[in-house]
Order: sequence, then structure tokens, then C-alpha cells
Amino acid sequence: MTNLILAELYKLKRNRSFWGITVIVTGVSLLLHYLVMIDWWIMDNTNFMQVGLGKLNALSPFITLLFFNLIVSTLAGFYIAVDFSPSSVIKNQVMSGNKRSHIFLAKFLVFSLGAVLITIFIPLIIGLLMVLLLGHGDILNSVGLLYLARSFGLFLLPFLSYIALIMLFAVVTEDSGKTIIFSILFTIIIFVVEKLPMSSVVEFLYKYSIFQQFSDVFTPIMTKGQMLTALIVGTVSLIFIVFCGIFIFNRKEIK
Amino acid sequence: MDEYILRTNGLTKKYHHDYALKDVNINIKKGEIYGLIGQNGAGKSTLLRLITGLAFPTSGTIHIFGEYQSKNLCEAQKRIGAIIEHPALFPNMSASENLEVHRLQKGIPGKTCISETLELVGLQDLGKKKVKNFSLGMKQRLGLAIALLSDPEFLILDEPTNGLDPMGIVEMRELIHKLNREKGLTVLISSHILTELYKTATCFGIIHKGRLLEEMTTKELDEKCRQHLRIKVDQPQLGATVLEEQLQADDFEVMPDGTIKLYNYLDDIRTVSRILTNRGLILEHLSLNGDSLENYFSKRIGDATYD
Repeated sequence: MTNLILAELYKLKRNRSFWGITVIVTGVSLLLHYLVMIDWWIMDNTNFMQVGLGKLNALSPFITLLFFNLIVSTLAGFYIAVDFSPSSVIKNQVMSGNKRSHIFLAKFLVFSLGAVLITIFIPLIIGLLMVLLLGHGDILNSVGLLYLARSFGLFLLPFLSYIALIMLFAVVTEDSGKTIIFSILFTIIIFVVEKLPMSSVVEFLYKYSIFQQFSDVFTPIMTKGQMLTALIVGTVSLIFIVFCGIFIFNRKEIK
Repeated sequence: MDEYILRTNGLTKKYHHDYALKDVNINIKKGEIYGLIGQNGAGKSTLLRLITGLAFPTSGTIHIFGEYQSKNLCEAQKRIGAIIEHPALFPNMSASENLEVHRLQKGIPGKTCISETLELVGLQDLGKKKVKNFSLGMKQRLGLAIALLSDPEFLILDEPTNGLDPMGIVEMRELIHKLNREKGLTVLISSHILTELYKTATCFGIIHKGRLLEEMTTKELDEKCRQHLRIKVDQPQLGATVLEEQLQADDFEVMPDGTIKLYNYLDDIRTVSRILTNRGLILEHLSLNGDSLENYFSKRIGDATYD
């Protein structure tokens, strides 16, 4: 398993798309944070404003499913799906004498690392640095920092579950383009489910899904019960989706 | 007792209603270079994909290194090197970077194996050239390097000479022979280029429409392809004596069914017929037999098609 993780890290480090997305996210992040901090771009009613972190409003797009899906699915397409076609390097991996479940898990761990780094870590660090550099360091008090730690900490579990889901798309479709297109369609469906009135069953399922948690974990005040719900939903979803991924990959015939 | 590296028993692969492989029983002994001959779409790659665990059989069993495959697949795969269909490479990496990924995956200690393997396949001087800029032949060599990196006991090559120039084909053949001779490597090669396979392999399996029609050694194949007069007389022993005494024939054999195979006088069938009948033998059959490799293969496949 360690060998596989090392191999995946080696691949990620040499993946042009990974570095391309990193540069783009860094640039977009710098621009958005700058525009927010000079008050060129004003957002109202954000969770960050409610805890006195209005200068970090530019983080809002990065925690919105429709936006961060573009980053995650592009990375999935050009890091995971590309192994299946056209290069078919997945053949070498499957024939390397490692268990398929280990291969899947190693890919998931390294893909998660890359996705978390690009989608969460870079925008957050850039935001914090710019807050300090542009003279707004006073907003980073204990309340604000605790809020950031709690919300991003709880965001991580549903985010990892979503990464596992997108990886599953990549493994099933075996194609970069299809992975990106299907994931965009999927997020649009989720958006519709969120905004339009649905049957009580769908609403119940949505309420206790990772998609609801993406916004719930950023509410300024969370009760212990809400935090527990977020932890349980995130953990159960993560285990379930990863298990489904392993199940499908174990039965997949490699072309 | 012969040690088998690979044995399959009733191996079958079905896609929807079509059989890609049907009841295949292949036997490969340790140290053999086994040539799998078949037309495009005969089932060669499907068989190799089942053996390497890329696909799963509908029924039947696979025994690799004497073990039941599905229970010990991962362990067996550690001892196998393979190229299936075409070399699987990272186009934006160099040759050594591709090997490094594979070295990490297999957990091979030390990096010296990379330079050694590149030298073995003649790709040592490529530097940082990306694989996407390689010729097809260079990609084949790199694919072979990946297959050989872990010093396998069993090498599986699917159409390894595809894209190689004539010199490359010769070098590939010599390399396979060298590995077989010096390291005792068992090799399974599939190809539809009969002449090349004939020069490389020590035994053969003919596959057609998903069925393994025949397995034979090079000696047996030579025997089948060698031109001879097939003679059937009422008294085979007397016939043999006549051939020896009156024709001074020294290259013939009496088969268990009483047929005589005469490898001389191929252009003088009338003389043979006259001498045998003059001695009072009843000539039941006399014909010129034996094929070229291509003819034998075509005939075998033709027979199977009409069966």
C-alpha cells in the first residue's frame, strides 16, 4: 500500500494538469481575495461576514458545490480517468501484483490530497496571507480562527465523500471529458433538488446528505447535535462511497 | 516431472451471447517460449487478459506457478511481467520516469534496476525525452523494460513486434532468447506473424475463434510441415525393406498406423510407386504431403472452420 501511495504521489507531482489547476486556482484566489479586500466586490449576507470575517468572503465560491466541482472534476478527469484511457497505464497497476482495493485506496488518498490542497488549502492560505498583508490582521481573532478551524474541519468529511464520488465517476466513465461533463450535470441536478420543492423523501435524503452539510458546516453557530450530524453524515457517506468504489473497481474489466 | 508455469482448465469467456474463449486448456512448462498463434480476433488478447487478471473468466480455472489463480492472483502477478495489447505508458514522462512509477508500484528496492533494464532493451541514451515523442518501436521496447523491471519468472507479450523495424524484430527475438537461455525465463508470446513466431518460440498453440485447436513443440510442428511421401502398403515392414534395399532410402519412418513417411524421392514419385508394386506390394495410398508453416496454419484453421 505504501508503495502504491508513493507511486501515486510521484505521478501527481508530474501531472501537468495538477500544476495547471494549481496555478489557475492560485491566480483566481489571489484575484478574488484582492477584489473583496479592496471592496471592489461586495458580497452580502455571507456566513463569513456574520463572524466578522467579511474580508474572507472570497472563500465563498470555493465552498460552493457548483464552483469547487469544476476543480475536483477537472483533476479527476486528468489524474484518475486518464489512467484508463488513452494511455491505459491502469493495466500496469492492476498487473503489478497489488490488490485492486489497495490500488483504488492509494489513488483516492493521493487524489484527495491534491484536491484538498487545491480547493481548500490554497484559497484559505492565500486569504489569510492577504488579510495580514493588506492590514486586516485584526479580524483574525480567536473567534474567527476557531470558526475557520471548525467549519473547514467539518467541511473536510463531506468534501472527501464528494471526491470519492467524482473518482467513482472517473473510474466508471474512463474518460476525462465524460467525468467532467457528468459531474457538472450531477451538480446541476443537486442544485435543482436544493432550490426546488421536492417530495418529502427527497428532501429528507437531501437534508442528511453531504450536499446539505456543505452549507450547514459554515453556519456561524452550530450546536453539538448539528456537529455530530455533520460528522456522522460525512463519515458514513465517505465509508459508503469508498466501499462502492472499491466494489466496482474490483469487478471492473480493464480494457 | 515437468513443472508447469501456466495451466488453464476449461477457460471460457463470454460477452453477452458471444464466446470470446471457449473451453481453453493451455499448458506452458517452465523454460518454454510458447507462441500463441491466431488471427486477429481469435481470442489471443482475451486469453492473455484473463491470465493477467485484467478480465475475469466466465468459467474455468487458471493455475499460475501451480497455484489456483483467483486465490493467489496478486502473489502470482508479482512474478509475472506483461505487455497486453500495447505498452501502457505515461506520455508526458521520460523512459526512466515511467520505470520509476512501476518500480515504486512493485516496491522494487534501489534505482539501479532502472538503468540496467533500459540498457537491456537499448534505451539507455534517451535522457529526458518524453514518451510522447517516442517511435512505436521505442514504446514497445519501453513496454518490455517495464515488464522486465521486476526480474519476472514468466513474461507475457502480446504482439511484441508490432511497430518494430526489421532490426528491432531481430533484436527483440534475440533478447527473448537470451533471457530464456540465461535466466530460464518462461515466455508466452502471441502473434499473427507466423514466420517470426516460428523463429522465436519453442512450442506453439493455435487459437481460432476462441478455441485452442492444437498445442505442439517446434519439433512436432517441423514434423508436420516437413515435405514427405506418404505411403500406405499392405505390408509396411516389407515396404520399408524395399525402400531401403532398392532405393537406398535412408530417411524414412514407419508410423504406428503402418504408414511410411519417406523424406527422399519427393520429385520421383513414379519410381517409388513402380518399385513397390514390382515387389508385389499392394499400394493403397501414395501422396506428397507436408506444408509450409502458413499452409499448415491455414489448413488447421480451415478444418476448424468447417468442423
